[in-house]
Amino acid sequence: MMTPVFEFQTSRSKVQGSGAFHFLGWQFLAPNLNPAPNPNPNEPVTRRRLGAGLRLGLGEFSWLLSPLGPGRRRFGCLTLAGLTLLAGCNQNPDSTANNPSGKALRAGGAKKTTIALLPKSKGNAYFISCTKGAQRAARDLGIDLLFDGPTDPDPARQNEIVENWITLGVDAIAAACENKDGISSALRKARAKGIKVITYDADSLPSAREFFVNQATPQGIGYILMDEAARLCHTQGEFAVITGSLTAANQSEWRSYVLERRAALYPGMKMAALRPCDDLKDKAQSEATSLLAAYPNLKLFLSTTSLGVPGAAEAVKQAGKAGQVKVIGLGLPNENRRYVKEGVTDSVILWKTEDLGYLAVQAACALVQGTLKPGAKTFKAGALGEFQVQGDNIMLGKPFIFNKDNIDQFDF
Amino acid sequence: MKSPLKSILLRHETVLLLILTAEWWFFSAAGRNFGTLDNTFDIIRHSVEIGLLALAMTAVVLTGGIDLSVGSLLGLCAVLLGMFWRDAHLTMRVAAVLTLLAGALAGGFNAALITWLRLPPLIVTLGTFSLFRGLAEALTHGVDTFTGFPEAFLFLGQERWLGLPAQLPIFLLFAAGIWLLIHRTTFGRSFRALGFSAEGARYAGIPVERRLAMVYVLAGLTAALAAIVYTARLGQAKADAGTGYELLAITAVVLGGTSIFGGSGSVAGTLLGVAAIAVLNNGLVHTRQPREVAGMLTGLLLLAALSGSVLLKRLATVRQRWQSPPEATERTSS
Repeated sequence: MMTPVFEFQTSRSKVQGSGAFHFLGWQFLAPNLNPAPNPNPNEPVTRRRLGAGLRLGLGEFSWLLSPLGPGRRRFGCLTLAGLTLLAGCNQNPDSTANNPSGKALRAGGAKKTTIALLPKSKGNAYFISCTKGAQRAARDLGIDLLFDGPTDPDPARQNEIVENWITLGVDAIAAACENKDGISSALRKARAKGIKVITYDADSLPSAREFFVNQATPQGIGYILMDEAARLCHTQGEFAVITGSLTAANQSEWRSYVLERRAALYPGMKMAALRPCDDLKDKAQSEATSLLAAYPNLKLFLSTTSLGVPGAAEAVKQAGKAGQVKVIGLGLPNENRRYVKEGVTDSVILWKTEDLGYLAVQAACALVQGTLKPGAKTFKAGALGEFQVQGDNIMLGKPFIFNKDNIDQFDF
Repeated sequence: MKSPLKSILLRHETVLLLILTAEWWFFSAAGRNFGTLDNTFDIIRHSVEIGLLALAMTAVVLTGGIDLSVGSLLGLCAVLLGMFWRDAHLTMRVAAVLTLLAGALAGGFNAALITWLRLPPLIVTLGTFSLFRGLAEALTHGVDTFTGFPEAFLFLGQERWLGLPAQLPIFLLFAAGIWLLIHRTTFGRSFRALGFSAEGARYAGIPVERRLAMVYVLAGLTAALAAIVYTARLGQAKADAGTGYELLAITAVVLGGTSIFGGSGSVAGTLLGVAAIAVLNNGLVHTRQPREVAGMLTGLLLLAALSGSVLLKRLATVRQRWQSPPEATERTSS
């Protein structure tokens, strides 16, 4: 299910910057071996010829590497060309040809803006989805996007990656922080070196970054949950809330906004019960089953924790009450796809992760170019239009509702 | 007779040094900002903990043993350091000393099982590998993270001292100490004797158990030291600190030419092994290759370096035999 993580770079035929090659199904970016276009037509001719000849010669042998047929010879050729590049032969004619705008990538010289994107962990479907949006932004902006992160959520590795990027000399870093304090010192170091830093998804300490791309406010989450619940119950009836634990600060905050919205707009709705599920699907299921027995008039389950949604859905399904008792909550599409398709779960609420990645890269780039400054009230992010800025938070806006009609467009 | 030049060329360390130079040359040519002083210091900073563990591991492997628990012990010691400081309200200095003691104690536990019960080190440390990590997780309930350490402590891991990464002097001192111990004392010689043949060493009058216990306590102490440096570098201590470090350390030791069966090896080789792996990992980032390649290339490097030096030696013996059979017969007849 999981594609190799660097597939994101670009499609095989479209390679940004200099040449690239493939090995064991991975795409490697060729190092920038000063492939500056040479304006002097006399001297480089021999070189260019030599390069072309070399490529032709290698092309002849590319079948050795590509037993799958002539269609793949190009890649074999690219592979060999890349290998020679790696071997220190620094004139690959492709590298200049693929660099149309003449913005030569000369090591140390003026070059394309490079933005580095750090996920909490690389294999996480949530962040893979974010990265898709980030790539789209990079394409729109014509910038270079680096994507790297720990294989497992590991703050030590995150620090190391950020420190590597500092010496590599990227222009901006967009980070999703696994641990606030752990990474903040590394991010502050980056800022001290003139690198622009923004955070997305999970914030660092405020002093370590310029902006946080905030995917959702507690108020936005609470309100949309209650609105959706009222819509499904036609503003009348009892509902039960399933929470991760009774003490979790973020969940209590969301719940308080749910109740605030109910009191303000939906007096016909009543919260019949509140049960913790310890963030376990099994526990959520057993709680929901007992709630179904205890409250026969129950019309809806609202879960503020992600595993509570499939847990409650399983309970409703096994009780044979699918359709009579609705299920909604915060969660990931993949965890709930089955129940949504079966008609047990009605709405899963989260945000568009691709837009989050897109916005993060757009904001980082705008910071580098100076078009986004502290104190801004709005920020225009390319194809997605305008976003509100509250203080140093760039708001992604309203959460997104995944339902039967659209859930198949998302994979995370 | 072998010429001195040839014997130097045939040494495993020379092969490694050549590999390291080649890596360095390649990455500075192909990478962006690779050869800078800043990056060199970054490489050092990131490899100090592995380096410390690898040095202690050299002593362990020389005796023919192995210690799989150092990574987990690093995690446990990091957590203990955090607890001593935050929960027991001790000063950082006292907490660090207590952490070192705890590390030595944990190493002593390994040593007791290995020497008193005569259990194989692989099994004992496989057990403590899980035990120490489990303890660290139990102490923090898997979620507690220690942060907000005082600036003066973080200086050790993050700042520069006399222009050098602040942890470098610690590492150099430690490396010098281990070098002296292994190459310049009778202790070190006895480690090697143990590795060759424990029974032989016993007949030679070496207190086998005491020496074995010493290396495992040393390994535990080193894991605690690495935990302190690690915590200072990251500014946080969590139960998952140092996951997988034991294998990285063993890789560096073996890459450095120390025989896994014990008996032969050198501190210089281990240091070169650590450097070769660290440079490879860092260089790949600077040439913008995917990080995953690093694991693959480390494996290839290990296999290539080991088989390379074996092949060179074999080639030399074949050539020698081919060149000098008459000489040899002469010698035996005379």
